[in-house]
Amino acid sequence: MTTLKPGEVNLGTTIMAVKFDGGVVIAADSRTSTGTYVANRVTDKLTKVEELIYCCRSGSAADTQAVADIVKYHLDLYTSQHGEMPTVKVAASLFQEICYQNKNNLSAWIIVAGWDKQTGGDVFEIPIGGSLHRPEFAIAGSGSSYISGFCDKSYRPGMSKEECIEFAKNAVGLAITRDGSSGGVIRLAVITKDGVERQVVYGNELPAQYTG
Amino acid sequence: MSIMEYNGSAVVAMVGKNCVAIATDKRLGQRALTVDMGFEKVAPVTDNIYIGLAGLATDVMTLHDRFRMRVNLYKHREERTIEPKTFSNMVSHMLYERRFGPYFVEPVIAGLEKNGQPFICSMDLIGCINYADDFVVAGTAADNLFGMCESLWEPDLGPEELFETVSQAMLNAVDRDSMSGWGAVVHILTPEGVITRELKGRMD
Repeated sequence: MTTLKPGEVNLGTTIMAVKFDGGVVIAADSRTSTGTYVANRVTDKLTKVEELIYCCRSGSAADTQAVADIVKYHLDLYTSQHGEMPTVKVAASLFQEICYQNKNNLSAWIIVAGWDKQTGGDVFEIPIGGSLHRPEFAIAGSGSSYISGFCDKSYRPGMSKEECIEFAKNAVGLAITRDGSSGGVIRLAVITKDGVERQVVYGNELPAQYTG
Repeated sequence: MSIMEYNGSAVVAMVGKNCVAIATDKRLGQRALTVDMGFEKVAPVTDNIYIGLAGLATDVMTLHDRFRMRVNLYKHREERTIEPKTFSNMVSHMLYERRFGPYFVEPVIAGLEKNGQPFICSMDLIGCINYADDFVVAGTAADNLFGMCESLWEPDLGPEELFETVSQAMLNAVDRDSMSGWGAVVHILTPEGVITRELKGRMD
């Protein structure tokens, strides 16, 4: 399992981000656990670091909150100094710098996604260790292992916004069913040049699944 | 992680007016991975006794088989069906036999005595019996179940009210435990017979 200190709160999780033409769809479950106890069953793991740039947090709750706060501060400073919004690449790079330089003291697996003028929608992934990756879609957290096959099979390049939302709901829903560390509701956000639309998918609204 | 938490479980039994209830969740996990959502943890011993086992799944399965054999042998020798209190003593003995290499289970027994009197008890993994006249709990969600039962239970609940009470206790307890849930089953034992119902709960 994960390398958390005793008593430390775990964001054992399922998070994902998918790019589409015009923006990104990001999704996360809502469970925070301390050992086996569910400390928060309505957590918000989709954290704003800039108006149109969000990060999806998994790993240690404390570590990811701290890193996101620091990146938020730096991005705010960037906007003041440059007079324009930072790109998603800049945000991801800041996350990487912190995660890589403090790799021995952090337990964080983060997805950075958002919209910027230069690229449109953009997705980055920073796994444990602090490497930076730029895939078309990213899945992370303890629940992601159960949906790798499903995602590889279901994803097609050039999906529409609505198709990406269904893809994310299905994927996170399946992971929640199988992963003990993921659960609660599915929080979704769609980020485009026009802003961020957030939605919540409750258990009874999930796409149909076989559950025995 | 403790070996008692490896598979995950939630078991509860409650006393009502001339009836008893026993409920378990249905998850079988391997640490964080959920492998089965239809794992039976409670089994009938006789028409009037049900035993639910929390803990390591392999020991749960093995002990259900061993209890079945011992109860059948009892019936052959005594030429009568075993009573709940006697059965609980038998279980306690079987567990203590393995005092220094125990079965990793926590049994919960619910039954009706010959005179119709409700009976419940629970045990630790080496057979220490805990008799109760209200409720008993076991499993990874035990602490949560204690809280739910302590607040929801009251004496002299009829079969239907007891069902509602034990169901709410189970559903809300497992929602705060990452290792149990994924469905639940409730058995209500009355002098007229057993009513078994499946609960629809969160599958997370």
